Amino acid sequence: MQEATFLILTALASGAQHGYGIISDVADISGGRVKLLAGTLYTALERLRADGLIGVDREEIVDNRLRRYYRLTPDGEKRLAAEAARLHSHATAALRRLNLDLAGGAA
Amino acid sequence: MSEPAEPGLSISESASLERGYRRLLAWYPKWFRLRNTEEVLAVLMACAQDDQTRPSLEAAVDLLKGAARMRLRPMPGQPRTVFAAVWLMIAGAAAELGVMVTLLATQSGIKADLIARYPAYAHAIGHAVNVQVTLDVVAGPIVIAVWLWLAWASSRGKQRGRVAFAVFFGLTSLSVLYSLSQGSLVYAPAAMSAGLGIWAIAAAAIMLIFNKASSPYFQRREPALA
Repeated sequence: MQEATFLILTALASGAQHGYGIISDVADISGGRVKLLAGTLYTALERLRADGLIGVDREEIVDNRLRRYYRLTPDGEKRLAAEAARLHSHATAALRRLNLDLAGGAA
Repeated sequence: MSEPAEPGLSISESASLERGYRRLLAWYPKWFRLRNTEEVLAVLMACAQDDQTRPSLEAAVDLLKGAARMRLRPMPGQPRTVFAAVWLMIAGAAAELGVMVTLLATQSGIKADLIARYPAYAHAIGHAVNVQVTLDVVAGPIVIAVWLWLAWASSRGKQRGRVAFAVFFGLTSLSVLYSLSQGSLVYAPAAMSAGLGIWAIAAAAIMLIFNKASSPYFQRREPALA
């Protein structure tokens, strides 16, 4: 799973969000390192929709502009959980071999 | 998450920026535009800088990359078999164009070569090659248009497009068989190979559109666009 995809799914893990909300949330989660652009975001959203990992939660009109909220599907939750567990186990192994604990300090 | 309401943009700046984004979004496939244009615009405008009147180069490249990716994906509800068949039909049109251009570019060489081999028939050969080239120049664009129409009709799941492609494939097969029976492989090996190549593209496309996975897409009453 690509990093942008992982971060988009993570942004949706705590509840439905609209496009701009996802962009802001992904920037927060990544500590400002990943700034999603609209083209990348909607390409990913379409792919995730086609794969059944996300769905449309609701649509609203705010200031004459369409705002569509996306949410994780049960399949999306499973995929995200599996990917998070995989990354976690890799990160744990790397930190253990470097004699570092997960809090970031030397053991 | 609160969305800023396009801050710092005057009405004319905002309109000019929005026009720029709309021009870029026009590169996306129709199904994507119907579904997402207004929403993507809302996000783009919310991300705009103060006083911005044109899309940034970074945003423009990102949107064009997104458009290319979306065009390389099946539209929602379209089986992969149909998507592959549509691209084969576009390849068929491109191959026909290649053959037509090659023929036009090499006609004088072909004529000179044949006349050198059969000098006694110089006049007849010149006439025959001219007739053949004229026929190809007239028929070529028609055949290319047919390939492209078939690709368009198949991509939208039109049953008559599938039937028309079956007829087209039948005619292409007959023409290939006729050319083979006339010994084309011996006296015009390059042209015959090109013909066989195009026939193979059509054969692959017909197997895909009559595949079990494709059939439901052609049998729906609703148009294909989401």
